[in-house]
Amino acid sequence: MEKSFSKSVAPFDRHFFTGKEKFTLIGRGELGGKAHGLAIMKDILETQLSRRFMPEIQVVIPTLTVITTDSFDLFMKENNLDEVAFSDARDDLIAHAFQRAELPAQLVGDLRALVSQVHTPLAIRSSSMLEDAMFEPFASVYATKMIPNNPWDADIRFRKLVEAIKFVYASTFFKDAKNYMRATKHVTADEKMAVIIQEVVGAGHGDRFYPHISGIARSHNFYPLGHAKPGDGVIDLALGLGKSIVDDGIGWSFSPAYPQANPPYISISELLEQSQTEFWAINMGQPGEYNPIKETEYMLKFNLEDAERDETLRFIASTYRLQDDKIVFGIAEKGPRIIDFAPILKFELIPLTKMLQALLKIGEETLERMVEIEFALTLDERHGSPARFGFLQVRPMVVSEAKVDVSLTELGGERVLVATESALGNGLLENIRDVVYVKPDRFSPNETQTIAVQLEELNNKLVASHNPYLLIGFGRWGSSDPRGGVPVNFGQICGAKAIVESTLPEMNFMLSQGSHFFHNITSFRVLYFSVPHWEKYTIDWNWLGLQKAVADTEFVRHVKLLSPLKIKVDGTTSRGVICYA
Amino acid sequence: MSNKPFNSFEMAQSQFDGISDLLALDGPTRDFLRWPMREYQFLIPIRMDDGQIKIFRGFRVLHNDARGPGKGGIRFHPQETIDTVRALAMWMTWKCALMDIPLGGSHGGVVCDPHNLSLREQERLCRGWVKQLFRDLGPQIDVPAPEVMTNAQHMLWMLDEFEMIRGEKSSGFITGKPVGMGGSLGRLEAAGFGLVFALREALKELGIRAEDTTASVQGFGNVGQYAIRLFQQMGGKVICVSCWDQKDGTSYSYKKKSGVDFNSLLSITDRFGGIDKKRAADLGYEVLPGSAWLEQDVDILIPAAIENQITHDNVKNICPRVKIVAEGANGPMTAEADKVIASRDIFLIPDILANAGGITCSYFEQVQSNMNYYWEKDEVLGKLDVKMTAAFHSVLELAKEKSLSMRDAAVFIAIARVAQACRDRGWV
Repeated sequence: MEKSFSKSVAPFDRHFFTGKEKFTLIGRGELGGKAHGLAIMKDILETQLSRRFMPEIQVVIPTLTVITTDSFDLFMKENNLDEVAFSDARDDLIAHAFQRAELPAQLVGDLRALVSQVHTPLAIRSSSMLEDAMFEPFASVYATKMIPNNPWDADIRFRKLVEAIKFVYASTFFKDAKNYMRATKHVTADEKMAVIIQEVVGAGHGDRFYPHISGIARSHNFYPLGHAKPGDGVIDLALGLGKSIVDDGIGWSFSPAYPQANPPYISISELLEQSQTEFWAINMGQPGEYNPIKETEYMLKFNLEDAERDETLRFIASTYRLQDDKIVFGIAEKGPRIIDFAPILKFELIPLTKMLQALLKIGEETLERMVEIEFALTLDERHGSPARFGFLQVRPMVVSEAKVDVSLTELGGERVLVATESALGNGLLENIRDVVYVKPDRFSPNETQTIAVQLEELNNKLVASHNPYLLIGFGRWGSSDPRGGVPVNFGQICGAKAIVESTLPEMNFMLSQGSHFFHNITSFRVLYFSVPHWEKYTIDWNWLGLQKAVADTEFVRHVKLLSPLKIKVDGTTSRGVICYA
Repeated sequence: MSNKPFNSFEMAQSQFDGISDLLALDGPTRDFLRWPMREYQFLIPIRMDDGQIKIFRGFRVLHNDARGPGKGGIRFHPQETIDTVRALAMWMTWKCALMDIPLGGSHGGVVCDPHNLSLREQERLCRGWVKQLFRDLGPQIDVPAPEVMTNAQHMLWMLDEFEMIRGEKSSGFITGKPVGMGGSLGRLEAAGFGLVFALREALKELGIRAEDTTASVQGFGNVGQYAIRLFQQMGGKVICVSCWDQKDGTSYSYKKKSGVDFNSLLSITDRFGGIDKKRAADLGYEVLPGSAWLEQDVDILIPAAIENQITHDNVKNICPRVKIVAEGANGPMTAEADKVIASRDIFLIPDILANAGGITCSYFEQVQSNMNYYWEKDEVLGKLDVKMTAAFHSVLELAKEKSLSMRDAAVFIAIARVAQACRDRGWV
């Protein structure tokens, strides 16, 4: 990809929505990865896609302006922030130091002019230089802040925008980001941050602002089911902001080759459990706690009753009819709602699937890689169509193409530590001698926060000593609900090159299959094993317990093996096996 | 060439007359606006450090307050005259009106050279000035500010004297106070940054990128320093800076073709904006005669010292390459020089627009002081940028619409607003 795109993007002319250009920049530096990707796609979308699906779908890149990296450099220099930024200070202390600093003078006039005209929500998004690098897994490392931008006083709107920008700048130096730097053998000083100020795709409903649909589309599916093939890709959709998919791992997942097929389920109640019951929206009402260093300061979770009151379920939900134990399309009847996007996926209210397939193809051709695309969509309130499709981000996906075979025989063979038919990734690892695991007899959903801290300490030691390791634990890795799994962020376990998530008989929740850290897992080429206890393959806890411990805390054990493990995942069959010598 | 000594007030009145004709102002309005409404000349006896008494002459002129309390600087200068003060007061009226801030115009000063006064003597002078004038000063009457050779410390002494006399806190009485003592963040940068905001818009209008330009600056005081800083941050290059040398009693220009290093130059500059000649030479600067700044082969000239610097005699020395003159000082160009600039199609950003950042931020300081609530710097500078940009474009639009020079368009807008205010009040 061409490195410098700044010269071909128009400068911001202080007309955000009413200007000629919808993609502008402030400054003379670089655009950063996210903005760079958008700049590349902008022209392509305009020439190849925007009219193809009209009038049903209008494809746009939501209006944005990019504060280029030179403002970040000046901000750091003028405020002497290097010392605190590169220190080991807590994230909140770094964030506060950045809040007290001043933005460069040549930036504030444009920001002031922007908020004077714009009264609708804005997303303040990171766009760092390292997010651009092809094989660097920096997605979701830095902050995005959504602001409602609706106070009547322009002074308040300006302050909130400035706070959000400073917060995104500060996130360059948060612990998570520094861990990533270490794990990817970068130096934090290499990083420079551009910031995207972008219109949020969505509509206002009283005190809530959200899109009808957010989604992520991938051109490669690691868990193809039924007739679907890996190359068909996979699409996840959710009601409301995309945080549901990215952070909560909840959404409606389908293969674009078979959009009418439901995800696999044993019973309808299982399907109900899997589907969305809450959604994220921007809080447009009374602000909650004032906290400029909290990413979700202006975001709230609402439940489906709220969406129903907003009349946003009409074109995306079905209803469970209890007396017949079946799902009926639409919401004409009373009953529990399932966010299954049936009118769109089954009845093609709008040609969304076809459009996403075309978009994935264009993305792959442009980036010459498998791709992951983020988007958001609003529907016409009365008829569903036309829809406004906002293209938010494109990222290359890193997929190993090594040919690895894992036979069923191997899964059931001897000297198998872990086996599964639900593995994410593809490849072979033969250099792992360290295993860190949560003790099955000590695990408790009430103690996951403590477990996270203990894991992080071990991770830091192993990263510092350049020892990649196998990580084994229970529940959904990275779950935002501590009772659903261990609430680590990827930086806290970034030294793990193979991860196993499992369950215990007394636990009753779904595994994530790597969804929380999907992009990190694929970019770091981490092999991910989902091993629920009810499946036929399990974990050989006895063998693990016999290995010599290097560290043994209340909840976590670290063993060092005499010989390395052999860890294999076959991406074509999703089979994975970990064998010991 | 005129042999008459330069008179700023005559120049200011001449500008006014020209625009009055365009506006077709009636006689009474013209007469009313052509002269200041009130003038004070007074004497300040000061006991010097050696025990001697010295008498200083002070001034305060209120040109017009139809749009709000008077606002204007206090200048300490050995060549201060009543005519200079009148001119500056009038320009301040136009400046406030052009920036559409609710203030009138005033100005004042003392005939003195602070280089030759100790700090204690300066303090007594400041307090003495307030003692003479306090009845006609105040947040709702006339609000002074620093100007040439006065600074935040002077303002604070004056504030203290005023509050002692009045027996109450009154931080909106004066602006230019230090931050933390009623001053506004951004005040120091405002005039210089404001100039560069206007310059930025002029460059856009001409289709030129800042990073493709070079500049030469007269004056390395507050306006010059911050203008250079922001201009360089925007990518421009300053190759020559001139300033007054107190020791030698003359001015010098310091040139470096690769571009001045702002921070190192600042480190060898005194508090009056005087650059140390020897240390500048040691740093590799060419030391040239003071007038050399005007003759440099650059795209932009920024006179940011005092009035009457570009005249009929030296305007011909301006290089053909120069495309923009941004007047950081008040009245740096004579009317004759103005005509030559116009004939050469050089884009002029007139003083009342280019250096209006200072008065705008003064207004912000006054507002904050009166509320006793102070804004962050981002907010001050963001508001300043928007105001300067808006003013620039309104002047440019009118200039194009009525085929006026930028100076005439700026003064036209300003006088029109003040005249209207006088009419609305029933004064004329």
